[in-house]
Amino acid sequence: MEKTIICIDMDAFFASVEQRTDPRLRGRPVAVIGSGHRTIITTASYEARRFGVKTGMTIYEAKRLCPSIIFVVGNNDKYTHTCRELEKIYRALTPYVEIYSIDEAFLDITGLEHLYGGPERVARLIKGRVREGFGIPCTAGIGPNVLLAKLACDMAKPDGIKRIRQEDAEAILENLPVGELWGVGQQTEKRLKAMGITTCGGLGRASASILRARFGIIGERLKAMGMGVWARPLITSEGEPDSIGHSTTLPEDIWNRPDIEAHIMRLSEMVGKRARDYGYIGKKVSITIRYPDFETFTRQKTLQMPTNDTHWIYIHALSLLDRIRLKDRIRLIGVRLAGLVKDHGQISLFLEDEKRNALLKAVDRIKDKYGDSSVTWAASLRCSIHDHKGVISPAWRPSGVRLY
Amino acid sequence: MYIGKVVRVIALFDPSSRLRPLKFNWSGRLIHVKEVTYTWQSRGGEGAIYHFSLTDGDALYELSYDSRTLLWKLENIEA
Repeated sequence: MEKTIICIDMDAFFASVEQRTDPRLRGRPVAVIGSGHRTIITTASYEARRFGVKTGMTIYEAKRLCPSIIFVVGNNDKYTHTCRELEKIYRALTPYVEIYSIDEAFLDITGLEHLYGGPERVARLIKGRVREGFGIPCTAGIGPNVLLAKLACDMAKPDGIKRIRQEDAEAILENLPVGELWGVGQQTEKRLKAMGITTCGGLGRASASILRARFGIIGERLKAMGMGVWARPLITSEGEPDSIGHSTTLPEDIWNRPDIEAHIMRLSEMVGKRARDYGYIGKKVSITIRYPDFETFTRQKTLQMPTNDTHWIYIHALSLLDRIRLKDRIRLIGVRLAGLVKDHGQISLFLEDEKRNALLKAVDRIKDKYGDSSVTWAASLRCSIHDHKGVISPAWRPSGVRLY
Repeated sequence: MYIGKVVRVIALFDPSSRLRPLKFNWSGRLIHVKEVTYTWQSRGGEGAIYHFSLTDGDALYELSYDSRTLLWKLENIEA
């Protein structure tokens, strides 16, 4: 039985929400930015995109392209709440939903279409409910698999509906540049070009064995993608996470050791709390450093005993910092706990560890009851809690460990 | 402009929109809500905080209602 997948993509999501929030922004070029003074554009409205403003540009680049652009500092609570509510709209129609990112979802409506009068009617229904509930536009792409649903969605943007049937896929894909396919990045596109493959039609006709030899196990997948028959299943539940990490771009580049330690403390606290909330302990701690010239590197160590204790994550992160001879000021710091396994709450043999666990539990309960900023470690007080109002990760999802 | 002050609010608990601020006092003036432009929730520990962006036709205001303390706050004004 042929599948029916709908891809829903919110149009310029953050910018649309801000234009809805402030009537004065409607119909005007708007860019959503982070709160720091050296932030980047996270989303540009379609009015701004017409001037060439794109995600990732600096505010100076955007201003040069579009002098009348209006910058709005993003509000992550607003976007995450909207995403959670959107999920409710999707789940009212089908239980098979993959929230791919904060502004994108796939719905499998196979076998349910007739209940609503066909896939296009389902798409119209969703668009109508989104418009009614939030006043923002979205685009729906319909296809027999996620690849073609996503392609249809990209082709119908903004505020459209498009369906690609399997029998139409060959003609649509024949001259489509491979880079337009969902999942083909710049590197893959470059390597395919070196093989003389520039279109999806060419990719679909390429030898599977040659693609396998060049790209390994994804070679055959690439061929299936070129043919429009790649049947990636929907990921409707989150698997076990590999790691839990947080990073922060600092308001100012820093060099001073106590300032660096304070930020590492705060990040360790966030990582430890999240690991404890979800019942994981980790065997590896890593820190990531970025210099002002964007040179970025990570240092990692394996622990003798897995942990989710904020204090130990911090101590190990500091020991990694000790091994680095900083050549410049720091622009970004990250702390990550990896090699995660489920914490089965092994009983400690030492009274000191028992006391520490009780302390962490008490701190976590206070945070859960009164909010994250209600209690914190003194060592992190040098960095203001207001510093951490960065750009939300595109990988954010309404449930599971990847909440930040 | 950040305000963050507790204010007096007249609100409607309506089954269709659940909770909707109608009027509030600010700086000796009674502000009449013309349109609630966006609503969202955030977490404040155990309780939910309900946020309302609204306009009186001139300025844009953000009110928040804390379900734990049952207090309304005027968070921001953008003239």
